[in-house]
Amino acid sequence: MRPRLSASGRRLGTLAGLFALCALLWALTPHFLTVSNLLNVLEQTSINAVIAAGMTFVIISAGIDLSVGSLVAVAGVVLASALHAGAPTAIAMAASLAVGCGFGLLNGLAITWGRLPPFIATLGMMSIARGCALLFTEGRPVSGFDPAFRSIATARLAGIPAPVFVTTAVYVLAHAVLSETRFGRYVYSIGGNEEATRLSGVNVRLHKTLVYGVSGLASAVAAVLLTARLNSAQPIAGIMYELDAIAATVIGGTSLMGGEGGLGGTIIGALIMGVLRNGLNLLGVSSFVQQIVIGLVIVVAVLIDTVLKSRKP
Amino acid sequence: MLHSRVRFIGILSVSALAAFAGACNRDTPGASSGKPRVALVLKTLNNPFFIDMQRGAERAAKDLNIDLVVQAADRETDVERQMQIVENLIQAHVGALALTPSGSREVVPVVGKANASNIPVVIVDTRLDQKAATDAGVKIASFVGSDNYRGGQLVGQYLVKASNGHARVAILEGIPGHETGDSRVRGFKDAIKDSPGVTIVASQPANWERDQGFNVFQNILQAHADIDTVFACNDIMALGAIEAIAAAGKAGRIRVLGFDAIDDARRAITEGRMTATVAQYPDEMGRAAIEAAVKAMKGEAVAADIGVRIGLITKENAARESEKK
Repeated sequence: MRPRLSASGRRLGTLAGLFALCALLWALTPHFLTVSNLLNVLEQTSINAVIAAGMTFVIISAGIDLSVGSLVAVAGVVLASALHAGAPTAIAMAASLAVGCGFGLLNGLAITWGRLPPFIATLGMMSIARGCALLFTEGRPVSGFDPAFRSIATARLAGIPAPVFVTTAVYVLAHAVLSETRFGRYVYSIGGNEEATRLSGVNVRLHKTLVYGVSGLASAVAAVLLTARLNSAQPIAGIMYELDAIAATVIGGTSLMGGEGGLGGTIIGALIMGVLRNGLNLLGVSSFVQQIVIGLVIVVAVLIDTVLKSRKP
Repeated sequence: MLHSRVRFIGILSVSALAAFAGACNRDTPGASSGKPRVALVLKTLNNPFFIDMQRGAERAAKDLNIDLVVQAADRETDVERQMQIVENLIQAHVGALALTPSGSREVVPVVGKANASNIPVVIVDTRLDQKAATDAGVKIASFVGSDNYRGGQLVGQYLVKASNGHARVAILEGIPGHETGDSRVRGFKDAIKDSPGVTIVASQPANWERDQGFNVFQNILQAHADIDTVFACNDIMALGAIEAIAAAGKAGRIRVLGFDAIDDARRAITEGRMTATVAQYPDEMGRAAIEAAVKAMKGEAVAADIGVRIGLITKENAARESEKK
């Protein structure tokens, strides 16, 4: 077992990086450090942050989920179609969450009972779920909802955008599950040493399957936010969101090898990406340079982990 | 703690790089040049159409002595990212905004946000969904784009003349529900409706794609061997149809009409494999968009709909037009 200090030390480093980035942007542009812009960043970060929360479970268990972007699309079009069919908001949302979670569990079953590598199983699901979303909607977006539903994205409480509250709730809940429940401990232990976990009598298949269910559920929550935000659910929504979610998770210090990391790091990772994109927009940096910078941040963050780990005795 | 410190330095150095990139960029909205700032948000920057539009916008910005910021999402499909870019530009207090919507309905909420911040918005190339815009009560300063309906008409009128009023036509449509493709088909149909000799024998979507243009037209040819004209709603599908015609051994016996005047289509027209296409002028679109945005920023009157010229390209003018480019 790795000492806890290392993990929290890494998180401190990432947090310091976030603050340094903010300080830098504050020095460079007067538009960055304003209340309205910071709220704007939090709102923009929420969708990626919610998906990344689920991704964190998967990556801690030493897996990967490439299907989250497509699950966002499926859950979104189910939600939108249910709303258009006249279902009450709560029912439509429940259906969407169930579909997201269900597709996620299918990922889990393919990985555990089908013994497929997570990369392959979720790569397949990425295409299957995308196809389902397109088929279900005949390729067209489903749009136009009543303001009561849209308030999930548009409402403000005490000036703070509603998605920020949703994201906070997701992280508080997910953190409680990961750190306080038996399931959470098993997720770490499966990622650390799956064989040892199995030998100690844990039902690894069940818990691994659930991990992907959690990821699908998180994608569906993101789909609700996205659909309300755009006032539309597109079958082509969420393309490449998996990469943003994986990036936020690894920038936050969760190891792709599994067994370590946590949600505290992931939210900071998601914020670093959100702040960077916002700052680069404010500075008017070319879109091409933005892609290079984001890529460098991901590589450098993980490189440091790898280099330091290899130095340890 | 070493770990934490190194990580900190790493992220800091990358941030510094980002800042450096920002400082080097002459478009920097934060730069205190004192000039008014206008932003152009494109669907993507990896399509020649939008790069031409950017060039036109940059020239207009230079002439009008304003700062222009051009931004685009990494992917044309990522309308949420486009929304974020617009939100961030609102935070940067740009004076006016020109936007090519990645989604006719999906960008409506963020246009509303610009309205709330009193930043005039000029919509370019793709119209907002009329109903979504009305429902949300959003206002735009102007729409700048080429008239797809008029383009379809040009093709139809050309066909009536070239065929002396006798043609059997297949239409290759774009993705169902896309405003641009639907308008082109409507214009075409309206132009031929007074010529009873010109009949449409098949009309099917090939989703803007070359391979689908090939397959769909091959199937149509199987069912209707007497077709003598194909109108594809974009050149890409038309090029696919040309291959299907060659495969069927009918090269030179079927008129191929396209839309967009991309380089490959111009070449096909010069070489006689294709009959005609419609040219759009994205650089003029970019110029007109920035001019309209600046006018709106200054509170001057702007036309609600600004049409950018389109033109029919045939063998007679294909080479000449290419040189001008």
